[in-house]
Formats: sequence, structure tokens, C-alpha cells
Amino acid sequence: MAILASSSSSLLFSSLPSNLPPPSLHLLPRSSLSLFSNSASLSSSLSISPYLFSHPTSSRRSSVSSFSVRASAAEKKKVLILNTNSGGHAIIGFYFAKELLGSGHAVTIMTVGDESSDKMKKPPFNRFSEIVSGGGKTVWGEPADVGKAVEGATFDVVLDNNGKDLDTVRPVVDWAKSSGVKQFLYISSAGIYKPTDEPPHVEGDVVKADAGHVGVEKYIAEIFNSWAIFRPQYMIGSGNNKDCEEWFFDRIVRKRPVPIPGSGMQLTNIAHVRDLSSMLTVAVENPGAASNNIFNCVSDRAVTLDGMAKLCAQAAGLPVEIVHYDPKAVGIDAKKAFPFRNMHFYSEPRAAKDILGWRGTTNLPEDLKERFDEYVKIGRDKKPMQFEIDDKILESLKVPVAV
Amino acid sequence: MAKLVVVQQPKPPSLSLLPSSLSEFSGTKLPSQIKYKRQVCLPKPKGALNVRASGAKKILIMGGTRFIGLFLSRLLVKEGHQVTLFTRGKAPITQQLPGESDSDYANFKSQILHLKGDRMEFDFVRTSLPAEGFDVVYDINGREADEVEPILDALPNLEQYIYCSSAGVYLKSDLLPHFEIDAVDPKSRHKGKLNTETLLQSRGVNWTSIRPVYIYGPLNYNPVEEWFFHRLKAGRPIPVPNSGMQITQLGHVKDLATAFVQVLGNEKASREIFNISGEKYVTFDGLAKACAKAGGFPEPEIIHYNPKEFDFGKKKAFPFRDQHFFASVDKAKHVLGLKPKFDLVEGLADSYNLDFGRGTFRKEADFSTDDMILGKSLVLQS
Repeated sequence: MAILASSSSSLLFSSLPSNLPPPSLHLLPRSSLSLFSNSASLSSSLSISPYLFSHPTSSRRSSVSSFSVRASAAEKKKVLILNTNSGGHAIIGFYFAKELLGSGHAVTIMTVGDESSDKMKKPPFNRFSEIVSGGGKTVWGEPADVGKAVEGATFDVVLDNNGKDLDTVRPVVDWAKSSGVKQFLYISSAGIYKPTDEPPHVEGDVVKADAGHVGVEKYIAEIFNSWAIFRPQYMIGSGNNKDCEEWFFDRIVRKRPVPIPGSGMQLTNIAHVRDLSSMLTVAVENPGAASNNIFNCVSDRAVTLDGMAKLCAQAAGLPVEIVHYDPKAVGIDAKKAFPFRNMHFYSEPRAAKDILGWRGTTNLPEDLKERFDEYVKIGRDKKPMQFEIDDKILESLKVPVAV
Repeated sequence: MAKLVVVQQPKPPSLSLLPSSLSEFSGTKLPSQIKYKRQVCLPKPKGALNVRASGAKKILIMGGTRFIGLFLSRLLVKEGHQVTLFTRGKAPITQQLPGESDSDYANFKSQILHLKGDRMEFDFVRTSLPAEGFDVVYDINGREADEVEPILDALPNLEQYIYCSSAGVYLKSDLLPHFEIDAVDPKSRHKGKLNTETLLQSRGVNWTSIRPVYIYGPLNYNPVEEWFFHRLKAGRPIPVPNSGMQITQLGHVKDLATAFVQVLGNEKASREIFNISGEKYVTFDGLAKACAKAGGFPEPEIIHYNPKEFDFGKKKAFPFRDQHFFASVDKAKHVLGLKPKFDLVEGLADSYNLDFGRGTFRKEADFSTDDMILGKSLVLQS
């Protein structure tokens, strides 16, 4: 959904196209605790920080009207989402399906594997009834034989939110082309960008030639006339298949130190999945504009690793003790010890903003509060847990842990 | 006490707007046609672009003789505007820029006007400005709100007040980049800039505020790139505080000048703030390497140190804030269609080729803090 800058006189952003989900209260995204410690009501946030609103800095509506999403409301599409059955990207298909259905499009979501698999007991799969009740169809099958899984149905748009290499995606692309699919969308990864001294990663920057996704991206561009590629980073949202913010909450609620590798200054991008979903939806509804473009599928703010820990703590209303360590010195694999890359991993969604007029709405301080509420609601704060790797790190740093 | 002196640079008499003619136009809104008529009788200076008559403005630049103003004033004069620099006259009113042809410089010099005065003498400002009848003010050197008030008082019919603010006003955050809508820090070193923005917003004037990040380019008086070039030239390692992965942002002065011109008379810039800087950011380590590339130096040795272990006294051991500091320039891109011309290495090369590489710089090299860090003193042949 389009987020428009707020002016001082009108603190809520201006009205949005009706086919998009209602915006969550999006105030000036600040990490200061005081701003968001109270309820997110407008009046309380007004009183907290006079300086935030004494500088009416932002564009008035007229100057940002050109950025509103131009949804072609008339044309409804038949969309097939080929969804992975696990991992951080699984949630993308779930949100995207629901958003498309909400906009009146026809949706089939095909999950890789078997409906009876144990994997389907985890979120978001255990909530697929929401897709069905929204009018969508859920099927299961293999990417090598999509036609069989969808029983010969045809589609206008296909999103492959599954394959990481050409062997897996090629059959999907070939099937889509031969069955008359007009627009092919692909969830790639911002992880393919080559590390740079000049962040952020922007579309067009050099990618690692040997990355599996790169081969897929190239093939899609060869085969399809209308294609769009989306490169996400990390995401949060209810129904996530992979831990993200939970990793921080687990430690914060148990009053354990939060071990962060390196300086903690590494920047990363953690978006609410609704931003990814909205970007995909804009591409479906504006195929001409989206055509033949790569889009970094991320929110428009980066956060430091230390910052994420602090925001999680603020969302929980609890203190946090951050401990930095050198993984090599401790002798552990940072990948196993910590959920984010131990380096700057920072892209910006410039193409989506420039070409699609898309705007992000992720507001980590607010969104994490919602996430924490759910974390507590499902009882995860009380769940007994082991922190073996943490203990090893803390032991080597001689950091005491309260029992 | 400064006197009102309108200093005419030597130029063909046909171009000079004599004091009497100035007063004739002061305070009255003439149809642009008439203004044009006065100019059209005059032979155009060699190399002048066609004046867009209806757009030609009487512009006052507060400052304009040091860095941004050098480039900005030239662009404005080229566009056909009548530009006056308000300075105390301590620095030469004009100087030939490195790489600027003699004829271009002569053209510029013949057209630029000077109003000599001290902007801190508010009464003088109040009384001297109305007589000139300026349409637009570019405030490049204003620091505090009370310096701006007398100008606004003196020019009630001002079409636009264009202010050089600073991204330094943003409140430090873990969520980046800084956008124009973000919280500002009332306690920052740049609170004078903030107070000025507030003043402009509270008065009826049509204002535009530009927030640059770190500015670089030829003739930079802030030792930003120069700091690196000194060390690279001396073959010294580059001492960078902490991890070196702190991200900062540099914007070329020529792109900044272009931005300042773009907002002139631009409805879309009315009462708006714009971050103006480079499109890409850079880590501290990356900047050291980029400077080396730009100057044709070999890849530098970078030494990281913990600043807490040293007492540098009043000296600055590194030219940047030891934190992430960068701002999104998306708003200027989307609202004004502004795209910086220079990428980092290109821009640094421009600065090097026109300035440091020619043997010019503003501040002598001072490696005393480096030596503290390196724990020894290096004696090198220069």
C-alpha cells in the first residue's frame, strides 16, 4: 500500500486506494522508546515528542499524489502461486494469496510436496483455511509437473516462490510458457548481490555470478515477455515459517543476554511481509509498468543488528543486555548462532518506488509490538528452551547469565 | 558599522545596474516584460545563454564566496538571473575556479554584484535590503534563526527563501536512512538550522530547505576528502575508528548547486525540505578506498582503532561522526526529478583533479593524532 508522508496538520497519512488493506498506524518511524511505549493512539503520540511535529516537513498531498498506486481495478487475474513448503519465504505466498483474493483476483496456491506432510502442520500452512475461505484454491504437487497439480487449469500470472536454482524452476517456467501464462513473477533473493563498500544494494548492482537464483533470473528473462523479479531479505509477520524476531524475544523475556556477532552496527532489512505482498500485488495489477524489472522486495528502512535487539526489547517492554562477540575467536559458526548475516546486508526498494509508485509501510517499532503480543499469546514466552550456543559464547566471554 | 555599498565589478557599462536603477525597481513588482525590456537593449555578454525573460530574477545570496556559493552563483548567472552576493568582503568576491576558462570567469565576474555588509548587523540588513528589491534569497551561510528574521522583515514580498540547512538536524536512529519526515534533534549541534526552518515555516514566506549530508568537491574548506588525500599522498596508513563499517554519505558540491537551482521558482519545492546528497552511501573503509582510486593511489592500508583508548584533546582524529549517518534522497528524485551526476569515485576524482591533485588544499596536513594511533612517528620524504 502506498505510504504517503504525513504533514504536520494531518498526522495520519492520506487516503489510500480502496483495494489495499487498511494501513496500520504509521507514525514517524522512530526507535525512541518514549514514542511508542503508550498505545498507538494519535493523541498520545502527539504529546510525547513535540519536536516530531513542530517541523511540518513533509510533502502535502498534492505533491505525492503521483505516487498513488494505479490499480487497474477492472482486470481480474487468475494467479498461480507456487509456494515453498518451508523457510523464511513461505509466508510470502500466504500473504500474497490473501491480498490478491481481497482484491478480487482468482488464486490457486500450489505448495511443494504432499498435503499430508508434517511440514504442513506449521505456519503458514496450518492456516491455509484462510485462503480457502477467501475463495482461493490450495493444491499440492511437484514443480516438475505443475500441470498435473493444477489439473490442467490455466493462469494469467504465475509466481514462483519456491525454486533457488534453474533445475527446479525451469520446468515451471516452461510449463507456464506453454500453457499461455502471460506474466511470470519470481521470488529471488537480495542475498545474490555482491558485497559492496557503497551500500545500499540497488537493482542493477553486480550479483554473484555463481548464485543459483541468477541462473533462474536469466532464464525467466529469456523465455517470458512480461516478467518481474523480486529480491527480498528478511521478513516478519504472523504465520512466519521461520523465526526472525522470535530469536530476540526468546532471550529478552528470559532475561538472557543477546549475543550479537561483530560490532552490532551491521545494517539489515527486516520488512513486514505485507510490504512484500503489496509490491507483488502492484506488479500483478500493473504488468506493463512491472515488466522486465528487478525489484528489491524490502522495506524502505534498514535497521542495525543492535537496533533490532533494542526494538524487540522496547516492543516487549523489557530491558536488553547486548553482548558482542567475534565468532572466530569463540570458535562458533555465526550462521548457526545468529539469524542474520554477520555483515551489512542492506538493499533499498528503489525500483519499486520509482517504477511502481510503491511505498513501504513497515514500522518496526509498531509491528514488533504486534509480534510480541502474539509471541506471548501462543505461550512461547513460557516455553522451556535451551541456549547451548549462546552459553558457549557467553562462557568464552565470561558473561554471567541469570538463572 | 557597515555602510551600504553596492560594489560594481568592472564590466561593460551596458550591463551594470546602477544604484539609481536599482532603487527604481525596489519594492515594486514590475511586469516581467518591462524588466526584460531593460535588459534586451543591452548587448549580451559573450557566451551568455538566452535569458528566459519571464524567469529572470533578482537573487541575493547570503555568502557565496567560499564553496557552495561559488558553483551556485555561476549557475544562476548562466541562467540569466541577476545575482548579488552579501558578504563582509573578507574573501575575494570572485575567484577563478580551477578548470574555469578565462572567458567564462570574465563573464561571471562582470555580472556578479556585491553587497558588502555583515549579516549579524541586523539593523543594517533591515535597512539595506529593501532598496534592492530582491525576488529570491539563497541563504547559504545562515546558522541561527535570528540571522534570518531581519532578512524576512526587509523583504516582505520575497518570492522564495531558499535555505541551506543540514541533515545534521536528524535525531540519531537505528532505523535508517533518514527521511525528511523523520524526527529531528532539538539538542543537536545544528539546532540553529532547525530553529531557522521553524522560523521560515512560521512566517508567511515561501521557503525551501535543503539538507545536505557531507559535501565534497573542489575547493572544499571542510577537510573531508582532503583528509584522506593528505594521508594517501604521504603514503601513510588511514586510521579509521572502530569497525570501519560505519556508513556515511557524500554529496558533490556541483550536484548540490544544481539542486539549489532546481528548486528556484519551483512550485513543487514550495515549503518543502529536501535531503540532497549522493545516491549511494559508503562505509568509512570504503571511502578510504574510493579516495585512493580517485587519486590514482594504491589501495591504502587501513588501521582500525578504538577511539576510547586515546585522548586527542581538541583535535579531530577523523573527519566524520563516528556513527551511521546518511539520508534518503528519494524525495528530491521523485518530486523534483533530481538525480546526482557524480558517483562517489567520479566525484572524488573531480575534486582531486581540480584541487588537491594540483597541489592546493585548505588545511595543512596534521598527522599528530595519526601518530598517536600508530604509536610511532613516521618520517617520510614528501
